Amino acid sequence: MYNFQKIRFSLFFLSVLVFFLGLPLILFSAFGYKFDNRSLKFVKTGLIFVKTQPAGARIYFNGKLLTEKTPTSMQELLPGTYRISLEMEQHYPWKGEVEVEAGKVSRMDKIILFPVRPNLQQLNQESFNLFFVDPDKKSIYYLDQGKGVVYRSGLDSGIFEDVASLPDKFEPINGWAVSPDRRKLFVFNQRQIGVVFFDNRENYEYPVSPVLLDYRREKVAAAFWHSDSYHLVVLTDKHIQVIESRPGALPVNLVELNNAEKAAFYDFKEDVLYFSDAQRSPDGEIYNNLYKLELHSNLYSLERLIIQPFEGIKSAQKEDNGE
Amino acid sequence: MVNSRLSLKRFLEIVPGGLSWGIIVGLIFLSFFFPVFSAVIIISFDFYWIIRTVYLTTLLVMAHQRIFRQRNEDWLERCMRLPPEAGFSELYQLVIFPVYNEGLEVLRPSLEALAASRYPRDKIIVIMAFEERSSYARDNALILEEKFGGIFGSYLSTFHPDGLPGEARTKGANATWAAKSARELLDARKIRYQQVVVSCFDADTCVDKEYFGCLSYHFLTAEKRHQASYQPMPVYNNNIWQAPSFARLVEISSSFCQMIESVRLEKFVTFSSHSMSFKTLVEINYWPVDMISDDSVIYWKSYLYYNGDYRVVPLYVTVSLDAAYSGNIWRTMVVQYKQKRRWAWGVENFPFVVEGFIRNKNISLLNKVRRSFHLLESHVTWAVWAVILVVIGPLPIFFGGAFFSQMAIAYNLPRIAGLLFRFTLLTSLTWIFLSWTILPPRPKGISWFKHVLLVLEWVFVPFIILIIGSAPALDAQTRLMLARYMEFNPTLKGNKVL
Repeated sequence: MYNFQKIRFSLFFLSVLVFFLGLPLILFSAFGYKFDNRSLKFVKTGLIFVKTQPAGARIYFNGKLLTEKTPTSMQELLPGTYRISLEMEQHYPWKGEVEVEAGKVSRMDKIILFPVRPNLQQLNQESFNLFFVDPDKKSIYYLDQGKGVVYRSGLDSGIFEDVASLPDKFEPINGWAVSPDRRKLFVFNQRQIGVVFFDNRENYEYPVSPVLLDYRREKVAAAFWHSDSYHLVVLTDKHIQVIESRPGALPVNLVELNNAEKAAFYDFKEDVLYFSDAQRSPDGEIYNNLYKLELHSNLYSLERLIIQPFEGIKSAQKEDNGE
Repeated sequence: MVNSRLSLKRFLEIVPGGLSWGIIVGLIFLSFFFPVFSAVIIISFDFYWIIRTVYLTTLLVMAHQRIFRQRNEDWLERCMRLPPEAGFSELYQLVIFPVYNEGLEVLRPSLEALAASRYPRDKIIVIMAFEERSSYARDNALILEEKFGGIFGSYLSTFHPDGLPGEARTKGANATWAAKSARELLDARKIRYQQVVVSCFDADTCVDKEYFGCLSYHFLTAEKRHQASYQPMPVYNNNIWQAPSFARLVEISSSFCQMIESVRLEKFVTFSSHSMSFKTLVEINYWPVDMISDDSVIYWKSYLYYNGDYRVVPLYVTVSLDAAYSGNIWRTMVVQYKQKRRWAWGVENFPFVVEGFIRNKNISLLNKVRRSFHLLESHVTWAVWAVILVVIGPLPIFFGGAFFSQMAIAYNLPRIAGLLFRFTLLTSLTWIFLSWTILPPRPKGISWFKHVLLVLEWVFVPFIILIIGSAPALDAQTRLMLARYMEFNPTLKGNKVL
């Protein structure tokens, strides 16, 4: 037992010795210090961490090929600038200079090595003029103005099919958008908005022929789907209005506009229209302002307004404005 | 005076938990606001843990080698070769099994193992110490008396009354009641107390056939034999092949921890089933009747009584107990957690010991400081090590901020932690090999594939560390800190309650 305890005490003191001798070295190393054999001093170094996508690239460090491949780190580097080149078969190389600071990590972890032969794939099977990618439903819509046909395919070009025909002689097409429910689209030009339904052969809710909404006194500048996929929010040269996507629907003017040159953005998630318009200030100057029109909370009132006569809306709007 | 004693006791109860929580909260605070400082502490602790693990694994190998070297020792024959004045021919073995509500399926194997031991049976006195409140106690006592009554020198069933003044419902209270009955028996038979070695065994303890020979030899040859406890190596082999992986790993680790402790003599304290001189037991007024950790408190009582001149002699012979488990993995985790929390409740020794040290003027200050520190350090380390390694270790990386993340130390922190786990893996291989060697033979009906499983299941160790690494100890210390004292709860082991 005596010898047993003697061995144990020796082990214990050896462990204590290793701890107290090893810990400063480990902590020095952790902070980036290394012992310089030439100056016989501890010098503070930095390190480079390099990570590529894909991993496994060869590393040329100041022109010299390293045995390690990415991801890796080059440690105990004296402060300064280093040349790094990353190479991989069938990929474009990456070259650059990296600044190393004492006690710090220079992280190069956002490097992508792009393939020499990119993974290029043709998706369309018919000619088209415009397209719309719908990542949520994993679909792509193609619009061929010449033939007046709308096609749909998957994101990998699978199941390429025609889903709708555009109204006859609807030219030119200034804009188009698929509805949030992905069951119809609209196209528009300055004088007309046409709503076309997809796959409506067995759906009696929708008309067989496209819905055409005519604009004789105003010019349509932009149009957006409301999130209910039934109303359209339309910007003309004179008004911001909403209109139902049904035959014979009448527009409701929500806002009168001063400036025909306006910009607009519609937030589908919140049903908010942001638009710019000119406004004369009390000092006589004309300023361009950005406005926000919320259409989500007052949808009920929107519907109520729509069934009222046009004049009634104007007066209601005036009352709201405190006039 | 009473108030100041109570205040001191409360203060000492708060110290371990306060220290553990202070370390954890302090390191979390540093990780957020002084990540560099926190990283330095974490790296230091990681390195300390590597060295500690390697050191303790070496001790384990030493203890294991000792067990194997003594495995085929004929202890009885060695006892017989002792000179007559050593007193082997007059030596009696008093065995007390405190029983809570364990059934016959637990008690029978323990008594059968006792009957099969290589030791003169007429020199063995058995006391089955039942709790009177247990409804099956009297019936079970009768059944066991019928079978084992005539086998041993004496066989006695005692029934500990419930609710005696000053007592809590603890194993120690039952064992003390049994020991007092044994004293009457010894007095009646005119057996001197110094001729008796008492062993207090958990109800599921199955002794090795050489146990009493080994115990007798060490007792008779020990210097100041009455000033020592004799501690066998507990292994949880009774149902180890049937127990789920989780329970098996925890119990093997527990056995190993005990084996490691057996080599660190200056820190070695009695645990679970153990033996000592009956004379000493009477002199120190038996086991505590109001503390859960009676197995370790008995050592500290003796240590204080003999003014620090008391030790634990390791016996490199095994006693086999049941692994704690239940029907499914989740219930097994709960059972294991509660068992480890009960063990961790041994932290109640700290106020007991320090108070004792303050009252005792004959123990040197150095010894008082050394033993108090060991006791406190072991419990605090138990409560914080897994939290530091698993939870706090990565915090500076996540919450250290942009400035910290561009520092070399931020990059090196996970690398050094990775080094730690690689070292742990190396030591784990040693543990896996050693665990294999202490297994009992594979019973019939258990597939050979279980051998493969026994190796593969060690991959669960990090998961186990998370569940029962520090949490039970932290739980126990927090309860003590908040004066929410634990009650003794027997552990469920398979379909048995222990």
